[in-house]
Amino acid sequence: MSELRTITHEMDLRWEYASGSAMEKFCAGLLERRIEALKCPDCARRYLPPRPFCGKCNTRLSEWVPVADEGVLEAWTVMYLPIVDGRSGEMREAPYGMGLIRLDGADTTLNHYLVENDPANLKVGQRVKAVWRDDLQGAMDDILHFEVLK
Amino acid sequence: MKRVGIIGTGQTNHTRMRNDVNQAELVREASALALADADLDPHEIDAVVISNMELFEGRAYPELWVGEGAFAAGKPCMKIATGGTSGTSSCIAGYHQVASGLFDTILVVGFEKHSEGHTQAGMALVDPFWDRAVASGALGNFALSISQYMAERGVTEEHAAKIAVKARRNGSRNPHAHLQDAEATIDKVLGSKMLAHPVRLLDMCPQSDGACAIVLASEDRANSLCERPAWIAAAATRHQQPYIGDIDRRLITMETLRDAAREVYAKAGINNPLKDFDVAEIYEPTTYTELAWYEALGFCAEGEAGALIDSGETEIGGELPVNPSGGVLCANPVGATGVIRVAEAAKQILGRAGDYQIDNVTTALATGYGVYAWADAMVLRGTA
Repeated sequence: MSELRTITHEMDLRWEYASGSAMEKFCAGLLERRIEALKCPDCARRYLPPRPFCGKCNTRLSEWVPVADEGVLEAWTVMYLPIVDGRSGEMREAPYGMGLIRLDGADTTLNHYLVENDPANLKVGQRVKAVWRDDLQGAMDDILHFEVLK
Repeated sequence: MKRVGIIGTGQTNHTRMRNDVNQAELVREASALALADADLDPHEIDAVVISNMELFEGRAYPELWVGEGAFAAGKPCMKIATGGTSGTSSCIAGYHQVASGLFDTILVVGFEKHSEGHTQAGMALVDPFWDRAVASGALGNFALSISQYMAERGVTEEHAAKIAVKARRNGSRNPHAHLQDAEATIDKVLGSKMLAHPVRLLDMCPQSDGACAIVLASEDRANSLCERPAWIAAAATRHQQPYIGDIDRRLITMETLRDAAREVYAKAGINNPLKDFDVAEIYEPTTYTELAWYEALGFCAEGEAGALIDSGETEIGGELPVNPSGGVLCANPVGATGVIRVAEAAKQILGRAGDYQIDNVTTALATGYGVYAWADAMVLRGTA
């Protein structure tokens, strides 16, 4: 097998995505440190991220319900490999904790970073609370990470 | 609905980097091997299905670019891209085409050339408003759910290590496998680098360059071309809601795979999967997922996956050999990986599995998995 010549491409491109009706209101809420979910009129499931439809019932969602910025750690990991941040394109430095968090008032779980990065200190079922950034942007990373409540 | 059989398979040797060929040449390699295995000429293929996750290579319209390599010029050709299930879904699409009676002979070919692109970037291009800010790639995604699964079902790191040992030892019998280690041990696995707690390097599948193809034929064609075709007894595919947090206890329940399995079991008359299947080729991107799939697929009761791997019954020579080819843990060219599962299950019925051939295979299972949101299951049967 002989090696072929290769050609290298680097591109600096720009995408611009629309939020949609549900995410628009959700992001506006974040600017005031407010988290809200959309509730299905049929199955009563409270969705985060809020979205226009319930895929289980095929209903249109319009009832907003308040959600706390703290909840239960349902699952966790500590990442030892740096991973590309999908928003900035930069590598996120390891190690860092990640969790699936069920915020009080929501039925789905939220995938987010944890301050804690020692496996010995993390347990399924722990209470965690959001740490907000000072300069709110109306985006998911207005929550920097979650801290374990003692 | 017409009866459909798999009459030939072909695959490249899967490896970290195939820099001696381009994508179309890689696809041609597997496609030509599958046609030769089925004893067919290219003009006898009616239509082609191509499986590839083009974001990984950053090369648009792969069905166009590699089509000639798949003998598709001048024929109906389509591409399917659903993450890990791309390959199994492509096989199911090909099955539907022949079962409909509109086509007689279909070539399905899947490929990936991870070495040319940026798989992690492809994985990161999820919902820009939600997931991108907190993405952790396939690895973090798996690792997250594993803590939950271990806590609830009592699975240990040693159980997972046993899966890795089984896979790499089986892989050493398969000349196509990317990772092979006849000397694999539990200590080697537990001593490998921690990537994302509790997942170690040797718990993970590799990223491979490779391609795999199968030939599907209608009943008359299959019988005239093949002594003992691998008949498709049933196939099912399931999609779920889009976000990571939508599926409750997702690794534990693995709803999509469980539901697809229940559907094919009912259709194919499978009552006791561990006994009724002679072999299974399942899509296990990590050791822990193989354990979870044992439960979702009904190979054992909930909470018994650790005991099942301890029992040795999923080894070659056991009651139900799982992934005698080495599985995804030994080769993972994503677009091809699902096609490989179907091809390896079919090879066991065709009697063409070489050093990892299981004796007297009549009923085989192949599955596909894509980020919890998708799952496929297919039951294959040979004439008894």
